Amino acid sequence: MIFSKYLFFILSFIAIYAALKVLISKKPMHSVLYLTLTFFAIGGHYILLNAQFLAVVHIIVYAGAIMVLFIYTVMLLNLNIQGEFPKSRLAKFASAIAGGILLFTLIAVFRSYDLKVLADPSLNQIGLVKNLGKILFQDYYLPFELSSILFLAAMVGAVMLGKKDIY
Amino acid sequence: MKAIIALSILAVLNMFFGVRKMKKVLLPLIFIGLIITMILNISDWGKSVHYFNEMFIADNFSIAFSSVLILIGILIFMFANIYYKGVERPLEDIYALILFAIIGGIVMASFGNLILFFVGLETLSISFYVLAGSKKFDIASNEAAMKYFLTGSFATGFLLFGIALVYGVSGSFNLEAINTYILGCNGNVPMIFIAGMLLIFIGMSFKIAAVPFHFWSPDVYTGSPTLITAFMTTAGKVASIAAFYRLITIAFISLHSELTTTLTVIAVLTIIVGNLSAVYQDNLKRMFAYSGVAQSGYLLMALIVLGPKSAGILLFFVLSYVIATITAFAVLMLIREERGTFFIPAFRGLAKNNPVEAFAMAIAMMSLAGIPPLAGFMAKYNLFVLTAEGGYTWLVVVAVIGSMISIYFYFKPILASYFSEGEPQHKIESSVNFKINILVLSILMILLGFLPQVIINLL
Repeated sequence: MIFSKYLFFILSFIAIYAALKVLISKKPMHSVLYLTLTFFAIGGHYILLNAQFLAVVHIIVYAGAIMVLFIYTVMLLNLNIQGEFPKSRLAKFASAIAGGILLFTLIAVFRSYDLKVLADPSLNQIGLVKNLGKILFQDYYLPFELSSILFLAAMVGAVMLGKKDIY
Repeated sequence: MKAIIALSILAVLNMFFGVRKMKKVLLPLIFIGLIITMILNISDWGKSVHYFNEMFIADNFSIAFSSVLILIGILIFMFANIYYKGVERPLEDIYALILFAIIGGIVMASFGNLILFFVGLETLSISFYVLAGSKKFDIASNEAAMKYFLTGSFATGFLLFGIALVYGVSGSFNLEAINTYILGCNGNVPMIFIAGMLLIFIGMSFKIAAVPFHFWSPDVYTGSPTLITAFMTTAGKVASIAAFYRLITIAFISLHSELTTTLTVIAVLTIIVGNLSAVYQDNLKRMFAYSGVAQSGYLLMALIVLGPKSAGILLFFVLSYVIATITAFAVLMLIREERGTFFIPAFRGLAKNNPVEAFAMAIAMMSLAGIPPLAGFMAKYNLFVLTAEGGYTWLVVVAVIGSMISIYFYFKPILASYFSEGEPQHKIESSVNFKINILVLSILMILLGFLPQVIINLL
C-alpha cells in the first residue's frame, strides 16, 4: 500500500510537470510530446485505481490515436514555429492575478475538506470491464446512447467543414 | 424522450435524403418531422414520466421548454430557404446539425442527472461550434467558430471540474440526491461543494453570455451566418436558462438563499453592461448580440426570486424573446441579402416600399424593448412584479433603467424605416410566403401580449 502511495505522488508529479511544460514549451512539437507524457501519467493513475480497462482505453485513444494525429498535423502543416505570442503587460498581469486567485481558492478549499479514506481500490472491482459494462448499460444507458448522437454531430460537422462548398 | 428519438430519426433521414440529392424533399420532411416531434413531446404533458433511473425527467417544465426549442426549430427552418437562396447543395449537414443542437437543448431542459446534462450541453455546443463556422470561406465566420470553440471548451472545462467536485463530495450525479446531501449537511455544507457549484455557475453563465463571461458573444454572433446567429441566440439561451433553472430549483434549492447575492450581482452587471454596450453599436447584428446579453440579465432575474409562478414567467419571457428575435432576424436577413449591409441606413425608406417587413420589424423591436401592449412588455412586467414581490425593489429599478436605455437602440431601425429623411432605398422583392410568415409572427406577438396568463399558468 505504501508503494502505491509513492507511485501516486510520482505519477502526479509527472502529470503536473508535463502539463506545465505543455504550456511553457516554445516549440509546438515539445508541447505535443509533453501532452503524451501527461496522458501516460493519468493512465497510470487509472491503473492505481484498479481501472485497467479505462487505463488501456485512455492510452490507446489519447496517447495513441489523438496524439499521433496532433503530431502529424504539426509536422505536415509545418507548424513547428518557435516563438511567443505577444501579449500586453496588462493582460499578463491580469491573467496572473486571476489565475493565482483561482489557484489559491481551490487549494484553500481542498485543504478545508478532509477527504474520507477511500476503500482500497484493489478490493473493489468497479473498474473491470465486466462491471463497467454493467454500469454503462444499466445505470448510465441514456447518456451512453446519447453520446452516440454527440459523436454523430461532431462527425457530420467535421465532414461539412471538410467539403469545398461555400455553405 | 419520444421527442429525442423522433428528432434523431429525423436528422438521420434528412441526411440520407440529402446524400441522395433530393433537395426538394428536405424542408417538407423536416417540417413534418418537427410537427410530429412537437405532438409527441406534448403527449407526455402532465404525466411527469421519469426515464432510465431518473436520468431524464419529462415533467411539465421540461416539456414546455422542449416545445419552445422545437418551435425555434420550426421558425428557423421557415426562413432557411430565404437565407440559403441560390445554394445548389441540399445542405443536409447544416440542417442535421441544427436538429442535433435541438436534441442537445431538449436534453438540457429535462435532465435529472449531471452526466446527462453534460452530454446534452456538449451536443448543443459542438453543433453550435460547427454551425458558427458553416460559411467556410468567410473570414468572420471562421473567426467566430474558432473563438466560440476555444472559449466554449474552456468554459466547459470549468463546468466539468465543478461537476467533478460536486460529485466527489456528494457522491451522486442525481439532482435529487445532491439536494438530499445538502439537507443532510444541516447548513454546514463543505466549501469544496460550494466551489464546485460556483464552477458550474461559471460554465452556465458563459453559455447564457452573462456579463463577466460575455466577451465571446459579440464576435461570435456577428461573425456567424445570420440564420445561425438567430438560431444560436434563441436556442442556446433557452436551453441554457432551462438547465440553469433546473440546477438551481432541484439540486441547489436548499442553498438558494446564499446564492442570491452572486446571482444578483451577475444579473445587475449583465443588464447594465449589455444595454450600455448595445447603445454604441451601428451594426444591427452586433447590437442584437449585446442586447441578447442584456436579455440574459432579465432571464437571470427569474432565478433570483423563486415563486410558484417563476417557471411560467420564465417560459413566457423566453417565448416572447424567441418570437421577436427570430422575426427581427428574418427581416434582417432579407435586407442583408438585398443591400449587403447590417447597418442602420439600410432600413431607410423601408416603410414606404416594404410596409409588411417594416411593420414586422417594428413590432419585433418594440416587443424586445418592452412597449405595451406587446408580448415583451407583459413578459418584463410579470418578471418585474415577481422580483419586486420578492423584495428586490432596487433590482427592478436597475432593470427598468436598463429597459429605458434599450428603447434607444431598439428604436433605431424603426426610426430609420419610418421617419428617416433623404433618398429612400429601392424596394426589396420578397415572396408572399415570407410576408405571411412574418405577419403571423407579428400577430402572435400582439396576441401574446393580451393573453400572458394562458402561458404563465401552464407551469
